[in-house]
Amino acid sequence: ENISDFSLNITDCTQVVVPEEVFFTVAAAGILENLLILIAVVRNKNLHLPMYFFICSLAISDMLGSLYKTLENIFIILCKMGYLTRHGDFEKKLDDAMDSMFILSLLGSIFSLLAIAADRYITIFYALRYHNIMTLRRALVILAIIWAFCAGSSIAIALFSYEAATVIPFTILFPLMMFFILCLYVHMFLLARSHAKKIALLPSSTVHHRTNMKGAITLTIFLGVFLCCWAPFVLHILLARFCPHNPYCACYMSIFHVNGTLIMCNAIINPMIFAFRSPELRSTFKKMFYCSR
Amino acid sequence: MSALRLISNRTSQQALSNSDYTWDYEYYEYGPVSFEGLKAHKYSIVIGFWVGLAVFVIFMFFVLTLLTKTGAPHQDHAELSEKRFRMNSFVADFGRPLESERVFSHQMGEESQSLFHFCINEVDHMNKEKENQKGPSLESNTHFHEAPKSSGMFEEDLHCLTKFNIPNFVNTEQNSSLGEDDLLISESPIIL
Repeated sequence: ENISDFSLNITDCTQVVVPEEVFFTVAAAGILENLLILIAVVRNKNLHLPMYFFICSLAISDMLGSLYKTLENIFIILCKMGYLTRHGDFEKKLDDAMDSMFILSLLGSIFSLLAIAADRYITIFYALRYHNIMTLRRALVILAIIWAFCAGSSIAIALFSYEAATVIPFTILFPLMMFFILCLYVHMFLLARSHAKKIALLPSSTVHHRTNMKGAITLTIFLGVFLCCWAPFVLHILLARFCPHNPYCACYMSIFHVNGTLIMCNAIINPMIFAFRSPELRSTFKKMFYCSR
Repeated sequence: MSALRLISNRTSQQALSNSDYTWDYEYYEYGPVSFEGLKAHKYSIVIGFWVGLAVFVIFMFFVLTLLTKTGAPHQDHAELSEKRFRMNSFVADFGRPLESERVFSHQMGEESQSLFHFCINEVDHMNKEKENQKGPSLESNTHFHEAPKSSGMFEEDLHCLTKFNIPNFVNTEQNSSLGEDDLLISESPIIL
């Protein structure tokens, strides 16, 4: 017998395991941070604006992502300790529910980012009519539609996750949305650049290129962080569907937990680059913390 | 022979795990994968993916910084005042530039004072004219706004009214200024 033909070297490319403490710390930090943002927006009447509602929507989707990972870890620990059976029907349903929560979080993040970009776009290019275009009620309706669509799609994707027909649209949606958001921001950026140039022509101005450099850095951070945190997972889904037995794909899929931790890091970073840039929100936080002391 | 038995054990295990549901850290049941005869490094997809992602992000950054340096200003100077405030708030929200912000605010301070007095008069004037022209002025206002290359004087009038009504970036009393929305949109422009 040619044993080498049947060598099952599954010890190569073992699952890279992230320590549970790291997992829980990152998840808890993400949940707390986003919860703080929600509380701050609810408590401060000045923040009842469409822009902050979209930021809240992003915070909710980040929270869902971290919550999913935390719950999953808790359930796995419970399984290992024997409190939950591994082969139960209830556990399967629970796992499906949690999968759909995770996909809901991803879709919610993408659409919230899209809404934030569109809101900023309208603010820049339709500044005079902004209050008429983006009323509070319209913003809430838009958010309701987004979340209804995300909930429906996530349940459908979780139920039919092994069909190619769900995996392909899911993985196409991701870069498509990123590209669209990038286009919106680039257009805003071009406007800022042309104005900076005009202001530089004024005799008394001392505008440096640093102004627009910071804009470029900020934009790159916005989109780069989202890409780096979510793209590994999306690639994982693609590979799991189309080449699960290829050794290269299997090695990529062995870092699944690192990808999950990255998604939770996204939940921590997103508030810093969206919510905490607003001075009103920062002052609300200060008031919340200093008043409680 | 022992190898064959091993294989049959594993495959039956896999069949079992496919039918029953298991909840494990091994999230996906990959099954036996042979790592023999790999031409490239086994983590090549991982490395290739991350390198590609880093290259893409850096490329995006360079494209954006190139955008700051190339291109000529083709819009006329007259629009500058109308969009300067927007530009200021846009940049302030995006990048928080320190020096240029001071420059902007200094310029804006001087300009806003003169515009402020101008606006007080204009708002009073417009209040009287509000009842006269409501319907058709809406169309003309939207048309004027959508075509940014319009006369500078009109832009300055609208610009002064927007100072009381800037969304989001400036911490004005948003709730109180909502009442001025109708005033802003329905007013006819006063051309000096």
